[in-house]
Amino acid sequence: MFKELDPILHSQLRLAVISLLISVKEAEFTFIREKTNATAGNLSVQLNKLKDAGYIDVTKQFKDNYPLTICRISKKGIDAFEDYVKALQSYMKPGQTS
Amino acid sequence: MEDKKITYEESLQLINTMINKAKDAYHDTGVGAMLWGLVIAVCSLVRLSEIQFGYKLPFDINLITLAAIIPQIFITIKEKKERKARSYDDRFIDYIWLAFGISIFLLIHVVNLTFAAWSPVSQEYKTLAGHASAFKFSEFVMPLFLILYGLPTFITGAACKFKPMFWGGIFCWLCSVITVYTPYKIDLLLTAFSAIMAWFIPGLIMEREYRQVKKNSVVTNV
Repeated sequence: MFKELDPILHSQLRLAVISLLISVKEAEFTFIREKTNATAGNLSVQLNKLKDAGYIDVTKQFKDNYPLTICRISKKGIDAFEDYVKALQSYMKPGQTS
Repeated sequence: MEDKKITYEESLQLINTMINKAKDAYHDTGVGAMLWGLVIAVCSLVRLSEIQFGYKLPFDINLITLAAIIPQIFITIKEKKERKARSYDDRFIDYIWLAFGISIFLLIHVVNLTFAAWSPVSQEYKTLAGHASAFKFSEFVMPLFLILYGLPTFITGAACKFKPMFWGGIFCWLCSVITVYTPYKIDLLLTAFSAIMAWFIPGLIMEREYRQVKKNSVVTNV
């Protein structure tokens, strides 16, 4: 029986964000935007969805009088990502169709 | 990139791509490494020329290492400010270099104390034996420094998968073995070479890569 893919992660931009954050301790909003090539508005919406799901922690602060958003993946996010990859791998096994 | 559904294959490919992009995110400016490579090389070469040409500067050339700490502080602050993502081993590497700095100053202190203690013994030996002692403590000073130079350089190179520093660290250790058997003037020359191989050249490579990444990281909004 196939595991169901997490709908929060099974979206291009949200998966890209989580894949980035899994590899770093923390990242600024501009860094994520540069790496994903997303628009600021769209990225903001997707970050909020990930935050609401408890997959990431978002900290807002100021740096040189400019707002600074820092994102970190949470424990729940790491678990969800690992489950998602395992589910994907089960779908991709030879002899099984996706 | 948009908020759209993707196939399983696309998902795996996307995960791979983003993890690689994140790995590629840490680019030191290389300025600090170039600075220290240059400072140590200049100190060694000036000291060598003092011995070779028989002159003496009005100050100890090694004092410029103390002066170099000031620009290093500014470089570190600037790099930290510019860094948009932090890796898990950032702090680990910072502590290694801090420990290295402390160890160097402690080693200088111990070496100076040893020289001070050895000098009267050496004089007494000369008076009693009629010739200078065959043992010269100065011959064993540079190997100690080179062992220490190699340590953080090798760890940083290995941890950050940056081969020029990895090999630079090994080069320092290799020179530390050679300098045990070579005269002091050659020791100084090898120390200058080590500083160039371990820090200046890797610093130049880092700086070139940093410029390249900065040029490529133009934001393309979709």
